[in-house]
Amino acid sequence: MRVATDVGGTFTDLVCVDANGVRTVKADTTPPNFEQGVLNAIDKSDLDAAQFDYFAHGTTVVINALLSRKGSKTALITTRGFRDVLEIARGNRPDLFNIAFEKPAPFVPRYLRHEVTERLSYDGEVSTPVQLQELDEIVAHLRAEQVEAIAICLLHGYVNPIHEQQIKQRVLELWPQAAVIASHEVCREWREYERTSTTVLSAYVLPITNRYLGRLESHLHEKGLKPSPFIMQSNGGVATVKGTLADPITLVESGPASGMLGAASIGQIIGEENLIALDIGGTTAKCALIHEGKAQITTEYRIEWDRENPGYPIRTPVVDLVEIGNGGGSIAWIDEGNRMHVGPQSAGSSPGPAAYGRGGDNATTTDANLLLGRINPELFLGGEQKPDWNSLYNAFDKLAQQLGGSHEEVARGVIRIANANMVNALKLVSLNRGYDPRDFSLIAFGGGGAMHAVALAEELKVKKVIVPVNASVFSAWGMLMSDLRRDFLQTSVENLKECDPATVDSRYNDIACAAQQQCENEGIQREQMYVERYADMRYLGQEHTIKIPLADGNIDQQALKVACQEFHRAHEREYCFTLDNPIELVNYHVVVFGKIEKQPLVEKATTGASLEDARKAVRKVDFDDQGIHEADIYDLARLEPGMSFVGPAIIEDATNTIVITPHKQVRMDAYGNIHILIEGQD
Amino acid sequence: MPAIEQDNPYTLEIIKSSLIAIGDEMFAAMSRTSMSPIIYEALDYSVGVTDAKGDLIAQGNGTTVFLGMIDSLVEDILAKFQGNIYEGDVFVGNDPYSGGGTHLCDVAIAKPVFFNDQLVAFTVNKAHWVDVGGMSPGSFTTNASEIFQEGIQLPTVKIFEKGDALDSVIDILKANIRMPESSMGDFWAGMAANNVGEGRLHDLFSKYGEHTVKRAMDELLEYGETMIAAEIRKLPKGSFYAEDWIDDDGLGDEPLKVCVKIDITEDKFVADFSGSAPQALGPINTSRSGLVSAVRTIFKAMTNPKIPANGGCFRALEVICPEETVFSAKRPAPVSTYWETMLYAEDLIWKALAEHIPERLSAGHLLSVCAFILSGTHPATGEPTILVGPLVGGWGAMKDRDGLNGQFSIADGETYNFPVEITEARYGVKVNQYAFHNEDGGFGRYQGGKGNYLEYEVCCEEAFFTGSFGRFKFPPWGVDGGLQGSSNYVEILRGGQPCDPPEIYGKAARVPLKKGDVVRMVTATGGGWGDPSLRSPQAVAEDLKNGYITSEQAQRVYGR
Repeated sequence: MRVATDVGGTFTDLVCVDANGVRTVKADTTPPNFEQGVLNAIDKSDLDAAQFDYFAHGTTVVINALLSRKGSKTALITTRGFRDVLEIARGNRPDLFNIAFEKPAPFVPRYLRHEVTERLSYDGEVSTPVQLQELDEIVAHLRAEQVEAIAICLLHGYVNPIHEQQIKQRVLELWPQAAVIASHEVCREWREYERTSTTVLSAYVLPITNRYLGRLESHLHEKGLKPSPFIMQSNGGVATVKGTLADPITLVESGPASGMLGAASIGQIIGEENLIALDIGGTTAKCALIHEGKAQITTEYRIEWDRENPGYPIRTPVVDLVEIGNGGGSIAWIDEGNRMHVGPQSAGSSPGPAAYGRGGDNATTTDANLLLGRINPELFLGGEQKPDWNSLYNAFDKLAQQLGGSHEEVARGVIRIANANMVNALKLVSLNRGYDPRDFSLIAFGGGGAMHAVALAEELKVKKVIVPVNASVFSAWGMLMSDLRRDFLQTSVENLKECDPATVDSRYNDIACAAQQQCENEGIQREQMYVERYADMRYLGQEHTIKIPLADGNIDQQALKVACQEFHRAHEREYCFTLDNPIELVNYHVVVFGKIEKQPLVEKATTGASLEDARKAVRKVDFDDQGIHEADIYDLARLEPGMSFVGPAIIEDATNTIVITPHKQVRMDAYGNIHILIEGQD
Repeated sequence: MPAIEQDNPYTLEIIKSSLIAIGDEMFAAMSRTSMSPIIYEALDYSVGVTDAKGDLIAQGNGTTVFLGMIDSLVEDILAKFQGNIYEGDVFVGNDPYSGGGTHLCDVAIAKPVFFNDQLVAFTVNKAHWVDVGGMSPGSFTTNASEIFQEGIQLPTVKIFEKGDALDSVIDILKANIRMPESSMGDFWAGMAANNVGEGRLHDLFSKYGEHTVKRAMDELLEYGETMIAAEIRKLPKGSFYAEDWIDDDGLGDEPLKVCVKIDITEDKFVADFSGSAPQALGPINTSRSGLVSAVRTIFKAMTNPKIPANGGCFRALEVICPEETVFSAKRPAPVSTYWETMLYAEDLIWKALAEHIPERLSAGHLLSVCAFILSGTHPATGEPTILVGPLVGGWGAMKDRDGLNGQFSIADGETYNFPVEITEARYGVKVNQYAFHNEDGGFGRYQGGKGNYLEYEVCCEEAFFTGSFGRFKFPPWGVDGGLQGSSNYVEILRGGQPCDPPEIYGKAARVPLKKGDVVRMVTATGGGWGDPSLRSPQAVAEDLKNGYITSEQAQRVYGR
C-alpha cells in the first residue's frame, strides 16, 4: 500500500493507492503543528500505517517559515570585505518610479555577518589561505548571541569549496551542536549574492525543518509506519529525510511541484507527452510546461518577487512554473481610471467570496461563476452550505453601478478578465518560450482548474483539455508518481569550440560520481539509480543560458556537436535568431534519480450503465459570448469509460466543476480522465 | 470560433492588458539575448510600442532615463521618412539633438509594423551600447569638447529596407566601433525584441481587427491621462522653487547653477528651467529629450508610480526651457555624460517638493549614476576588456524611516550590480571590497542610507579609468534639519596605498593605471530627514551594534 500526504493551506490531502485502486481523504490543515493534520488524515482514512510500503510527504513548512519569518536566528560567515553583499543584494528597484521604494531587509542583520580572512581567485586557486584562528572569536560571539543556524558562503566557493569545508569543520569543532550549511552544499553556481542568499535561507529554515520532520517521523513510527518517509522536493522528485536536511531549501515549492509532476506522469500513461499544466487554487493559479514528458527545471527562483519587489533569490532546482494572483477567491475591483481588475487580492477562505455570507462584500471569480450558473448552488462549498445570494447581488451591485450593465454582464467581465490574466500566464510558459500551444494539451486540476480550462484552451488554441482523475487531490497523487531525485549544478565555463571533449566528459563523470556517492549516503540504493545530464549553454558574450539535455554515453566531439545543434535550435525557437559566435557551456547539470516502483493506474470499472444514468439534470448556464444554454449536467462519479457527449454541458461532483462550452466533444478514457476536444481530431 | 463583440468594454480591457504585456515580452527578449553586461545586468535599455502617430502605448523599462525617448524617435522618423516607410524597414539612430537622442552610446532601433498594408504601430528599443567609437573606449568621457569625439553619429537612418539588410550601413557602423561583435550582438538582440513585439501586435490585429485595437490604444492613452489627472488634484497647489549647483562641466572647474520654478494648478504641472546655466563646453550638457525624460520621471513618481507609462500620462505636463542651456544643448555640444545634468532636472523638482509630498519623496540621494569605464586587458587571455557600469549608493531618509542602503540612482531601476565573481572571471580585475562606508553624512532623526566602497585592483600591466561621479562637490541634500549626505568620488590608491596628497576625482578621464593600483569608488550616503537630536536612542544603539556608525560619530553627532 502506497500513501502520500500533501499539506495545503486549507486541507491536508491523503491519497492511498493499492491494487484495489485509489482512496482519498481530506482533513483540515492544523497550523502550527502541521504533522497533526497528517496524523488526523491517516486516522480518518481508517488505514493502518503498519501496512504502508511507501510514504511520501509534501510540506509547506519551509515556505511558511520564510514568508512568516518564523525561521531561526541565523548568522553568516563570509570573505573579508564582503559581508555587505547580502544587504546590498543586486541594488535593483523593479518599482522604477517609486521613490518611497522599500528594499527587502536581509535575513541576517549586519552584526551577525562575520568576515574571515581568506581568498580564492576566480579559477579556484588559493590566493590567501584561510585564517581559521579568527573563528574562535566569531563562534564565541555567535554562541553569546544565541544564534541557531550558521551559513558559510565565500567568494568563488562554487569553484573550490576547500575554504568553506575548512571553516565548517572548524566551526563544528568549536561548537559541535551548531546547525551549519556551507554554500557548496546547496549551490555550485556563480553569482555571490544569489548563492549567499540561498545558503542563508537554507540555514534559516534548517532547525524548523529538522524539528518538524523529526516530530512527523517519530509520530508516524509510533503509528506503526515501517519505511522511512520520503519528502517531496521542489525539483519534482522526492528525497530521504537525511537528504532533505542536508539542504532543506529544496522543499520551498514542495506542493506545486508534485502537481506538475503528476501531470507529466499521467501524460505518460495516456500518451500525452506535451502538456501545459494548470493548477487553479483559491488565491493563485500556477502553470508549467511539460515538453516530451518532462517538466522543465530552473534555478532562477525567487520568493516575494513581483513587479514591485526584488524578493530573495533561491538557487535551488525548482519546477519552472509561473504563478499569478488569480484564483477562485480573487477580488474584482475598479481603479481610479474606471478599469476593472481581478486579483491579486483574494478574499481567501475568510471572509471568502461574497456568496459565503461571512461578511465578504467583494465579488470574486467564484461569485461570478455561481452567478452565471456554472457552479451548482446545491453543491456550493461541497454541498455543505447554500450560497448567500443577497450578499452576492450586493457585491455585484457595487460594480454594476460604476461600470454600467447588468449583474450578468459584470460577471462575464470578471471571468473574461480573470481568464485573460491566466492566458497571459499560460503564454509565458509556452508561446513566450517559443512553444506552439497547438502542439500541446492543457491539463487542468486544483479546485478551479476545470471551471476555466475550456475557455482558456479556446483562447490559447491548444488541441484539447484533460481533466485528470483525482484532480482535486492531484498534488498528493503526483508524489506517488515521482522518483527520488537530486540535482547537482556546477558552474564551470568552457568554450566548446576550443575545449577538449574529454575534459567535459570527465567533469561530468566526476560530478556524477560524487553525486551518486552523496545519494548513497542519503539512503538511495546504487541499483535504483539512473543519471541524466544537462548543459546550460549560451553564445560567447551572452550571459543567460538555455538548458540543453545531453544524450547518454561518453561525451566526444560528436556528442558536443549534437548538443550545439540542439542549442542553436533552442535559441532559434526562443528568440528567433542564431549567431555564429562560439558556444559556451556554463553550468554542468547532473540529475541522479532513484527509481521507485509504482502502482500502475487502475482502470475505472464499467457497469454497463448508460450516459443517461449519469445525466442528472439540465441547468441554464451562461457561456459568455457563446450564449446562454440549457446545459446537460453530468454526475462525474457516474460517468464511465467510453462515454462521450457534446457540450454545452457541466460535469460536477462535490469538489469538481468542469465547464464545457457548446459543440465541444467530450469523452472519458479508461482511467476516468475527461478529455475535451478543442480543435482537430482526437 | 465565435465572433468577438468588437467594442465590448471587457474585450477592450483585455486588448489593453495585452498591449502592456507586449512591452514586458520585448524587454525580456532583449535582456536574454544581449551581449553586454550593461544591457543584461544593468538593464540600461528600454523597449516600447507606439501607435502609428508616435504616441507611446506601452513601454518596458530597465531604467527611468528613457521615458521621453521612444515616442520622440518615432515622431522624428515620421517627419523624416514621410512616404518612404515600408514593411520590413528598420531604422537606427543615436542623434542626441533630435529624435529622442541622449548620448551617442544609446542606440535606438525602430521597426514599423504593418497590418493589411497599413502602418499601424512601431516597435522600438533603445539600449546603451558598450562602445560606439570616439576618443575613448566606452565612448563616454568627462572631457570631450565636441560631439565628434564621442563616437559615430547615426542621424536616424534605415539599416534594413523592405526586409533586406543595408550592408553598407552595417559595414560603416562596424568599422567605427571598438567591439563590433558585442555591439552587433546587441543589435540583433534589439531586432529580436522588436520582432517579438511585431508578432504580438500582428496577433492582436488579426484577432480583434484594426478598428478595435486602435480604439483600445486610444483608450489606454485616455486611461493614463485620467489616472494622472486624479493624482494632480491631490498635489499641493501653488508655485515652488529650487536651485542647486552642478560640480563642473568636466573641462573647467566652475560650478554651474541650475534652477526650476514649478507651478501646480488643478489640472496642470509646469516646470520652468529658465535661469539655468548656459550650454557648457564639456560633455555635461543634456539635450531637450533628456530634460523631458527627467521631468516625466519625477512627475510620475509624484503622481502615480504604479500604472504603466504611456503618452497619456504626460498630457498635463509642460516643460519650459530656453534654447542652448545646459538642459537644452544644441549641436555640436558634447553630451556624453548628459545623465549627470538630466538627473539634476529631476532632483530640482524633487528638492522643491520633498517637504510638500513627504509620503512619496525622500531627502536627496546619491543622484549620480556614478558610471565608470575600466579598460584594460584580461591578464589570463590578453584580450581587451571594457568594464562599464553604474554603482549603488545611499538613498535619502524619509519623514518616518531611514534611507535605503546601497541602491542604484533614480536614473536606473531594474538595474543589477555586477557580481564580484563574474567581474573577476570576465575582466580579470581583483575586487578587494564591496561594503558600506562610514564617511560622515546623512545624520538626522532619520538617517540617509549608506553609500558604498567598491575597490578594483588592476591585474593587467596597463589600464585606464574614466568615471563621472556627480555630487562630488555638492552632496545630497537633507530635509527638515536632517544633515546633507556624503560625496560621490573615486580615489586612486597607487600600488594599493593612498597618495599624498590623495588622488581623488569627481570626474576622471582616462586616468592611466598600472598593475597593483587600486581604484576605490565611493558613493554618497543619502541626506537625513529631521534634526539629529531627535533620533531615538534605540536607533543609535542599533546602528552602533551593526557598525553603521562609529562610536566617535555616535558621540559627536548624537551625544551617545
